[in-house]
Amino acid sequence: MRTVGAISLGAVLALALAGCGGSADNGAAGGPQTISFLTHWGPEQVTALKAAAAAFHTKNPDVTVDIRAVPFANLLSTLRTQGASPNGPTIAGIYDLWLPELVRDGLAAPAPSGVAADVKAGWPGNMVDDVTKQGQVRGYPNEVDLYALNYNKKLFAEAGIPAPPKTWDELKADAAKLTKRDGGKVTQQGFGLITSWASGAVHPWLSLVNSNGGQLLDGSTPKLDDPKVVAAAQLYADLIKSGATQPSMSSANANTTGPYLDNFVNGKTGMIIMANWWQSALKQAMGDRYSDVGVAPVPVGPDGTASAGVSYSWLTMVNGKASPAKQDAAWKFLQFLNGPESGKGGSSAMGDILMSMGILPSRTSDLTAHKADLSDPFIAAYVAELPNAKPFPTVLGGEAMSQAVQKHIENIVFGKETAQQAMTAAQSEVAGILAKAGA
Amino acid sequence: MTVARGHARRGAAIAFLSPAMAVIVLFVAVPIALTFWISLHDWSMYTPLTQMTWRGLGNYADLLHSDDFLNALGNTLVYVVLVLVTTVPLALALGMLLYFPKTAGKAAARAALFSTYVIPTVAIAIVWGALYAPDYGPISQALGALGIDSPAWLSDPETALLSLVIFHVWQMTGYYTILVIAGLTQIPDDVYEAARIDGAGFWRQTFSVTLPLLRRTTTFIVLIAAINAIQVFDPVYILTQGGPAESTTVLSYAIQRAAFQNGMAGQASAMAFSLLLVLVAVAGVVLAAMRRRTAAEGRS
Repeated sequence: MRTVGAISLGAVLALALAGCGGSADNGAAGGPQTISFLTHWGPEQVTALKAAAAAFHTKNPDVTVDIRAVPFANLLSTLRTQGASPNGPTIAGIYDLWLPELVRDGLAAPAPSGVAADVKAGWPGNMVDDVTKQGQVRGYPNEVDLYALNYNKKLFAEAGIPAPPKTWDELKADAAKLTKRDGGKVTQQGFGLITSWASGAVHPWLSLVNSNGGQLLDGSTPKLDDPKVVAAAQLYADLIKSGATQPSMSSANANTTGPYLDNFVNGKTGMIIMANWWQSALKQAMGDRYSDVGVAPVPVGPDGTASAGVSYSWLTMVNGKASPAKQDAAWKFLQFLNGPESGKGGSSAMGDILMSMGILPSRTSDLTAHKADLSDPFIAAYVAELPNAKPFPTVLGGEAMSQAVQKHIENIVFGKETAQQAMTAAQSEVAGILAKAGA
Repeated sequence: MTVARGHARRGAAIAFLSPAMAVIVLFVAVPIALTFWISLHDWSMYTPLTQMTWRGLGNYADLLHSDDFLNALGNTLVYVVLVLVTTVPLALALGMLLYFPKTAGKAAARAALFSTYVIPTVAIAIVWGALYAPDYGPISQALGALGIDSPAWLSDPETALLSLVIFHVWQMTGYYTILVIAGLTQIPDDVYEAARIDGAGFWRQTFSVTLPLLRRTTTFIVLIAAINAIQVFDPVYILTQGGPAESTTVLSYAIQRAAFQNGMAGQASAMAFSLLLVLVAVAGVVLAAMRRRTAAEGRS
């Protein structure tokens, strides 16, 4: 028994040492630095990023950048499990909703003054605000996504609808006209929703809320029981009750594909609110029929004054647990990667990489450099809506809040709660989540 | 001399057992203890273990009042029960069908059944996602051709969990069937010969010879099937993400979501430790029932 006890104690100590050790990078203060860049991009973009890292290394022989790529679904878990370790990523591309927690726990380092000035000079004010936490810039804004109404022009023409809806009343009327039935079964829905995916369920709905003058949070206080918010929930309930929206056509899977996408690309959904990033998926799936896709502002609700789709962004941050020397090297690389000299024709290398995926860059000079690419009617409609977009609130507990709202939206969609019941319950639940998270 | 031999034996036992004990302690006991320790704290995983915030039993108290946890627990329970009542009888029936008849092609049939277990879940779940597509998916199309109105499968909260159970049964039945066949090979032929001499027909032999003598195998299958069902994660993660409307959120998925998406490793660990207690309880009940039955038979 004493032997067993000794072995057990040894094992416990070994694990405790492994778990507790290395909260900070102990790299040398000077000399050559090897830093790592964690991303969820695909092989093509990783190759471009490696090329940018190689170009940077040529100019800065003392700094080597290793690129580590993981699938999107594993990005956050990789950060959680490796972020604080000595060999954790020095740079990471992150979703802005994750930033408050990373700042609170010291993983998102504040940018040096030179970098902060660079960000403030090169990006629109709302993008700078998005990456600023606790009064300090925390990284370089990169990708920006926003929501707008996507509609099938061919189905609109067949239904005799001359233009996309501008108001909720028009949305309901058009959705009814676009809905086709075979006997009692709906074979074509007028307006599509997304379920089984938090962002897919919450962002389009919140775009309607914003366009009705409502908001999800006022600071860190939930406003889900505001009549302007409840009205958007009631809109969903009405569309479902009329049959113009079919819950069975709404589901998504972990790859953010699934029936909601299939039904739109196969001409079984007349309208849907979605983000610009799915352009590549539409092009790939629709082929020549991609030209049927039109984009319009999110319809405005009875209490709203202007369309205001939800926007969110991604940024690249530097690991605050890395050694000062590595952090300096990382900021230097990010300044190069996001600077106008690293890409083609005045674009940053980051801007070129994002545009290769059909994603909107956020740096002002990148938008100018890619003006020709951005004149594509699909993207151009999103670019036009960018100034009106409202960023999704980034607060501590944001992920859990998003999931709670998703649950209650889906309860409306599947008839488990009325709009009022769902919003009352969501209000209470989100308030509890945010209070617990310390938002 | 005897004392010296005793010391030598003890030394040998320690030497032989130490490597295995070290592995068990390091990879089983320590993670379990660590999980319990984390469950007593708030922790985002972004900070070292030494910087966790103490919560005592607060995470467990929260679970008792959490509708989401109770929903996940309920979904897990329904899933396990449906899997057990479907898989075990099916595996027993298929095992006997593939063992007793003297027909050609039995080996091929066994291999085909077992192959579903060998294929990685991630790959096959994607295929099942396409099969389950409402309206335009192959299953819906086939049912439609027969004049049957197909359910929306994974897209409907009423059928989503059942759809995952069907996938689980398809994937795991072959494995349990092979276990049944292995159990059947342990029943001596002369028992059946004696039964036949006594006039027992097929059904009598099945219920009075085969099933009683397969009891240990069946108990093992029930235990393994229950544990596998309680631990289901991959198909939920890939196909439904716990939806729609939380209808497929099972405990393992809720644990993953709490820890890695929401940064609540303490709460996730409390759920994980509670799940461990459930598993231990299930195993205890099954094994105790088996021991009672064996003891009762020993007395009779």
